[in-house]
Amino acid sequence: MKISHNLLKNFIGFDLNKINIVDLLTSIGFESCVVKHEYNNLKNVVAVKILNIYKHKNSDRLLICNVTDNVKEYSIVCGAKNISIGKIVPFAKIGAELSKNIVIKSEIIRGIKSDGMLCSEKELGLGNESDNILILCDNTKIGESLNNIINIKENDKIFDVEIMTNRGDCLSHLGISREICAKLKKKMLLPNIKKYNNLKFFNSLKIESDLCLNYMSCIIRNVKIKKSPKWLSDILYDVGINSINNIVDITNYVMIELGQPLHAFDVDKINCKCISIRKATNCESIIAINGNKYNLDPNILITSDYNNPIAISGVIGGKYSSIDNCTKNIFLESAVFNCDSINKTSKNLGVVTESSYRFGKGVDIVASEYSFWRAINLIIDIAGGDIDSKYVYKNIHNDEIKIFLRIEKISKILGYNIKIDESIEILESLGINTEIKDDKIICNIPSWRKDLKIEEDLIEEIIRIKGYDSIPCINKHEYKINDMSNDFSFNSIVYDLKSKLKNFGFSEVINYSFLEIKQIKKFNLLHYYKILNPLSKENEVLRPSLIVGLYKNVLLNIGQGFDSIALFEYGKIFNKEGERKSFGFVVCGKIWNEWWKWSNYKFIPKYDFYFGAGIIKNILPSNEFKFVKNLENNYYDNSKTLSIIYNKKNIGSFGILKKVSDSYSLNIKDDIFYCELDISTIENEYYKKSIVFKKYSKFPIVKMDISIVANKTIKFSDIESVFQEKIKKNGILKKYSLFSIFYIDNNVSYSFRLYYRSDNKTLTDDEVNKDIKILLDELYNKFNIVLR
Amino acid sequence: MKNNLIFDNFYNKINDCDFTELKKIQKEYFGKNGIFIQILKSLHNYNDDYKKDIGSKINKAKNDILVKINKEQYNKNCTNVEKNKNNFDCSEGLFFPFVNGNFHPISKTIYDISSIFKSFGFLVSDGPELETDWYNFESLNIPKNHSVRDLHDTFYIDGYVDLLLRTHTSPGQIHIMEKHKPPIKAIIPGKVYRNESSDSSHSSMFHQIEGIEVDENITFLDLKNVLFEFVHAFFSRNLKLRFRPSYFQFTEPSTEVDIQCNFCNGNGCKICKNSGWIEILGCGMVHPNVLKSVNYDKEKYTGYAFGIGVERITMLKYDVSDVRLFYENDLRFLKQF
Repeated sequence: MKISHNLLKNFIGFDLNKINIVDLLTSIGFESCVVKHEYNNLKNVVAVKILNIYKHKNSDRLLICNVTDNVKEYSIVCGAKNISIGKIVPFAKIGAELSKNIVIKSEIIRGIKSDGMLCSEKELGLGNESDNILILCDNTKIGESLNNIINIKENDKIFDVEIMTNRGDCLSHLGISREICAKLKKKMLLPNIKKYNNLKFFNSLKIESDLCLNYMSCIIRNVKIKKSPKWLSDILYDVGINSINNIVDITNYVMIELGQPLHAFDVDKINCKCISIRKATNCESIIAINGNKYNLDPNILITSDYNNPIAISGVIGGKYSSIDNCTKNIFLESAVFNCDSINKTSKNLGVVTESSYRFGKGVDIVASEYSFWRAINLIIDIAGGDIDSKYVYKNIHNDEIKIFLRIEKISKILGYNIKIDESIEILESLGINTEIKDDKIICNIPSWRKDLKIEEDLIEEIIRIKGYDSIPCINKHEYKINDMSNDFSFNSIVYDLKSKLKNFGFSEVINYSFLEIKQIKKFNLLHYYKILNPLSKENEVLRPSLIVGLYKNVLLNIGQGFDSIALFEYGKIFNKEGERKSFGFVVCGKIWNEWWKWSNYKFIPKYDFYFGAGIIKNILPSNEFKFVKNLENNYYDNSKTLSIIYNKKNIGSFGILKKVSDSYSLNIKDDIFYCELDISTIENEYYKKSIVFKKYSKFPIVKMDISIVANKTIKFSDIESVFQEKIKKNGILKKYSLFSIFYIDNNVSYSFRLYYRSDNKTLTDDEVNKDIKILLDELYNKFNIVLR
Repeated sequence: MKNNLIFDNFYNKINDCDFTELKKIQKEYFGKNGIFIQILKSLHNYNDDYKKDIGSKINKAKNDILVKINKEQYNKNCTNVEKNKNNFDCSEGLFFPFVNGNFHPISKTIYDISSIFKSFGFLVSDGPELETDWYNFESLNIPKNHSVRDLHDTFYIDGYVDLLLRTHTSPGQIHIMEKHKPPIKAIIPGKVYRNESSDSSHSSMFHQIEGIEVDENITFLDLKNVLFEFVHAFFSRNLKLRFRPSYFQFTEPSTEVDIQCNFCNGNGCKICKNSGWIEILGCGMVHPNVLKSVNYDKEKYTGYAFGIGVERITMLKYDVSDVRLFYENDLRFLKQF
């Protein structure tokens, strides 16, 4: 909210100039900054007399003026229409600094050189008039600096202040002044008002809804509608409100001054036989002052004349009944409406006004009456007229709210003792009347502080005004270690996976949890959670898998010229089982970039099924994870995919992705290997076993190579299981590796390297050969496999 | 005596020899039928002292010729290297195509922050991203129709009466407190969602870290101490902190915390918008209504809570100017961290 320095001064009876308002407001919770400085040093701007005016030869609109400062003559290109020969105007010489951004330079405008600029009020920062050049008095001394001519002290400084959502009472200069005075422990001033008593009662008004809490209105006759005085339109302009005419401007001024939204109707345009505050009906509508038509319904509170709605109460007035230049008699309304009702109406109709914003945060009923008289005083002052009749209605009594603040509670919350006297002084400075009773402070909450409800709120007020920095900070260096059962080991499974892949050269990505429906269909996936209110297509559904995002990342980076891509992601997915933790990785392209030492090798290794599967074997937390046929295949190439099983539970799958046929994917020539692990299941099933050191043999190892020939129909995993069984028996065979595979007709040749070692002696050739024979016999008996 | 002559002869021979000659002599004396080998074979006829004497002499000779051979070989190689000097360029060794992996800057920040709080005795926990109205709002003292809800532009899930994407990590407080009795001391990092259009500083998805401690006699002073220590540990510097009054529904009193700008040391620069301060988190004392909603005795227990915006702090740390870069996942971005 914009706050005017000059307007604050009206409420504050001491010199504000020495106080840094920005720091003060920020320190009590209102972040603020200066948006307009009051002081423009108009150096190099002088008064000049216009000697001649010509038409610009290359423009219909522009003029050329010859001016003099009694020292020198200047020729200036100018676009304003209000100048004439002999007038004295402000002239910014070359080098003049009008604001931080505007420095006057010599310029060629449509072929003609301009030696500077004639200035408008706005350009000088003196007002808001921008079309016309500022005309100075005829007796102004020519050549005099503008600094000496204009009384710059009247110029205003404007702050932008952020108001906390619960502090509706601060949406006015009155409210902000109250806070400043509380912090500075000073008394506040209020403008004097004159109340008019013994007025005729306006009896054709009916309040038909209890959503209207307070209603004051009056009729003022014979007002003169004209342009507002300069001080009024300037202040409104500075706080961001357009000046309309004196009556409307006064209602707006009182709103920014005291926080009470007011509305004025043209009495002669409405049927005054009966004015009512009531719920609208379904078939009613209104054209508002913003020109839009709104269809009304029974949830909406309106002000209505005998026939038609004339305003959406508290939100916006009707166009037809608004004040215009011919208005003579006005109907002024100062009301308080239920804030929830105004919020709902404003939201449903999609219209937020200065008025609805303030009503929505709650308006002070006591200030409502004061504002009413303040507005009437100003209207009679500025626009003339006489009060004809008034109407006053009050729906609720302003019961004083009392909160009991236990003195010991203050230090219990803050960890710091504040003296009782000081606490009370702060509370009193905020308008809270206090009374000590035993160990409590009884606090009477003022009508405008609807946000204060419990004693913690009052403790906050005390420390907010005193300053949080006043609580001394002691570094204790002493922390209780948490003895809550450690149900969450900082996700060590995930962290292990991440760091292993990072060490393999993978980069971590984070994708949005949202997807377009179109995207997930490409991967034959179903969505289970659809967003009800997406802002854009990209937010249509929650991702049921990490694949879509990772695939997109591969496409993007291939497009950026990367030919080796290895990415992983950890995050939540949302599938038929609900919200799940998921870990995925994807690889595509070259495993290594080219290297001159390898230039002789023709083979450039690329990520393929075997490489990917090798990674998986190395990152899984134990070798008890088994690989089986993938039965739930949505997006893998059917022949190149496996599922991962642990404790008979499916915990993930991997494989080469099926080619997706869309134009974006045309760039991808290489296979994409993808793997996704269901971390939620792994977390439930897998418990990290602590490592127990095993003694190892001191005797030497014997390495033997064997090549065997098997029929192609035999699965390698079946052959391998024979080796595995043998190792499990804990004989002398400790390890094996597969170092060659090749095909001969219908057969496959596998070459294994076998590692033999005994725990208690050096093995002889005989012992090793005997063991190999047993292995070969078993292979022959089971699968008819022979030595090559 | 005869043997002494043989040794003298040997040592004479190996003086001033080149590599190939030395190899020849080595073979002559130590080969299968070499002179010294013959002598060793004949030693069994003599007494132990003599055996010992001759044996050690032959061993010495064997060593001496080896040392000579190695020296000659080294000289020979050096001359080769000297000759090929231009062919070996150490700087060619810098091209081995090893690839470094990276953690995402956001998860790096989460990890760093979590580690600091872990060392303070906080538990690191996790909460659901799909939440109900109760957890996201109601239990946190944000009743239905409260205008604060308008600030939390919420994504609702179609087809469910009461399912939404959490707009902050604060529901994690409730989950932790429901699961455990005090003392509670935990942080909850995670993703949160806001239904707003994205720009350089807003994103429909971002990360927060929630922190909470509830016990008997927990005060604002404890909160201040923890945050001071955290900031000093995270930025590894003694930065000043400023507690600025603020408003959150679920804490009372509530403050926002600014740190002294670590780019300009508080003198004012572009990053801190000339204020010298940078806002990094919101915090306060847990509102009694929040304690009530998890059936804690609000007279017995007090607590504090705080929420850190991960993107913001990461952008500050690495001077990233556009939040959307975090989710584009361009390797040119990711590889920098």
